[in-house]
Amino acid sequence: MSTIPFQQAKLVELYCLEPVFFASRELSDTYYTEGVIGNYALTYALGRVNSPYRLQGQATGRPTYKEDLQPIAQDFYILPASPVGRVTFRFERFNALSDSYWYAMTNNRVATAREDLPLQRQGKKPSSFRPSNFPQTGRLRMIERRNKFQTLVFGNNQLPNYIRLGKFMSKVRVNVLNEFPVTLLAEGEYQSQHYLNAADLPQQIEALAFDLISIPPAPIIKNLRFRGAAWQVGEIIVPAGLHFCGRESNNE
Amino acid sequence: MSISKLSSVLATSYENFPKGRFITLVVLRTTHSETIFRTEGSGEPMCSEFVQAGLEGENQKTIIQRLVMTKRKQVAPERRYGREHLRAHELLYTNPKDGSLCSLNTNAPCEMCVDCFLYGFAAGGGGAQKSRIWTEDAFSILPASDVVGDRTINAIYETGTMRDEKGNASTALNTSEYIKPGVHFLDVVTLKDVTADELRYIIGNILFTSRYGAVSSRVGRMENEILGVFGSITELPSSLELVQATYDVLGKPLEHPLNINQLITASKQVIANWKNKRGVSVQLSEEELANLLTDVETNWSPDERDNFLKRLTQSYESFRQVAPEKNKGKGKSKGKNTPVEVEI
Ligand SMILES: [Zn+2]
Repeated sequence: MSTIPFQQAKLVELYCLEPVFFASRELSDTYYTEGVIGNYALTYALGRVNSPYRLQGQATGRPTYKEDLQPIAQDFYILPASPVGRVTFRFERFNALSDSYWYAMTNNRVATAREDLPLQRQGKKPSSFRPSNFPQTGRLRMIERRNKFQTLVFGNNQLPNYIRLGKFMSKVRVNVLNEFPVTLLAEGEYQSQHYLNAADLPQQIEALAFDLISIPPAPIIKNLRFRGAAWQVGEIIVPAGLHFCGRESNNE
Repeated sequence: MSISKLSSVLATSYENFPKGRFITLVVLRTTHSETIFRTEGSGEPMCSEFVQAGLEGENQKTIIQRLVMTKRKQVAPERRYGREHLRAHELLYTNPKDGSLCSLNTNAPCEMCVDCFLYGFAAGGGGAQKSRIWTEDAFSILPASDVVGDRTINAIYETGTMRDEKGNASTALNTSEYIKPGVHFLDVVTLKDVTADELRYIIGNILFTSRYGAVSSRVGRMENEILGVFGSITELPSSLELVQATYDVLGKPLEHPLNINQLITASKQVIANWKNKRGVSVQLSEEELANLLTDVETNWSPDERDNFLKRLTQSYESFRQVAPEKNKGKGKSKGKNTPVEVEI
């Protein structure tokens, strides 16, 4: 860990121009967004890697983070975005509607086959009334508009002014606040103030204490106290050697 | 045919990977009747939010409550509009899983029709398509307090009174909020990697959709007008920033109903600055915009529509074909996980 792959890093603020929704957790018919923005999502949103418009067959079953992210890992890394101040949330109801003139809300399904209604009233269960395997009604907890997040972008990259995040492609403004050199701090005990992706931590560090936010695709770590080498960027200290899917690749 | 002016930011055919081509439509949406936009159930207040009034000076410090027309409230009726015509011209496909015709939100997207290719679908039959039409919450120019009305609803029985034949009083007495006619929302719609025909289809859906919001069959008349079209390699400012900048230009005092011509002039003044934004390569002039809209109307006209929609449908044909069966025994295929997908 004697060389630093990145000369500089940008301190970036993300300003939510719209409510942002990720399905971080699900409780009954409510879908919760956690108050953090994952760094893989940010990498796609910033246009550093592309994912196809259409997914078919096997591709729908398995995301391709490793294949997508590792090729760019030499000159790009971004931290998960942590909130500036307290995150505020809003709840919204969602309700799928069909395009037929007649419809009925049945077991979590919008039924549209009116001709099946007499059958259904006789207590039979025509297939058009059976429950759907994806949610058609429920509530969403979203990150409220005007929330601010901060992240560090390592490497010398031009960033777009606006990006889209989450399931509803919500518009977020990207403000570069500052640019710092990355300096290497010798082995020691450090406390990291920034959110980190558990899958990206280098093998070499020793994690002493941390809080875990359990979200897909990889848990986010906060308040990490660790022993090892560190990178300093402005006021921020993070473990040295952060790397997309770093933990996994070292296992192989 | 000024659509060619946009050729540098149009795709020549549908492709599966993004290529950094953005087209931005600036849309003015004006209510023409009482309209209802809520995010919670009935009886809840109109969807609104506290935001900065403007971007400059005092306006920046003033916080006002603006009405919000959420992004999902815009796109749902607009794609329904297009689907009506796909249905009428028999261009919706059947879903192989249960043999039903493509329908929205019923777990049975056909994955084959124009709507599925353009507006996307979630994994119903094992596939998924991202939408290439990115909408944004649109905001009213004026504060909600100026443009929301209150109405008392009393449900009258067939006898014409508030009491039924048995003399019981109607309980259906309620007050409910509505958005007044003549309220303006400014909106930015972003299109990603669309072809010329896809652009015509999307603009048609926006221009010809006339009902939005709750109880859409009875109220919610709305008129859409396209004020500007941009081509770029990045996204342009948000609907919220557009409304705030326009509010700054309009000056005070503002009263409902706004003069629509003044409003259009102010908005166009704001977006004229966008051509200096990083990444903008094209802004249609007034004349080019008018030509584009004529082009769209021509393609959607009774004489051309069938031809137009079929041409658009045809453009996805290579993506509908099943890839040839892989040689199972010996490995010409690249490995175990080659997905069944046809690329051009
Ligand atoms: Zn379809």
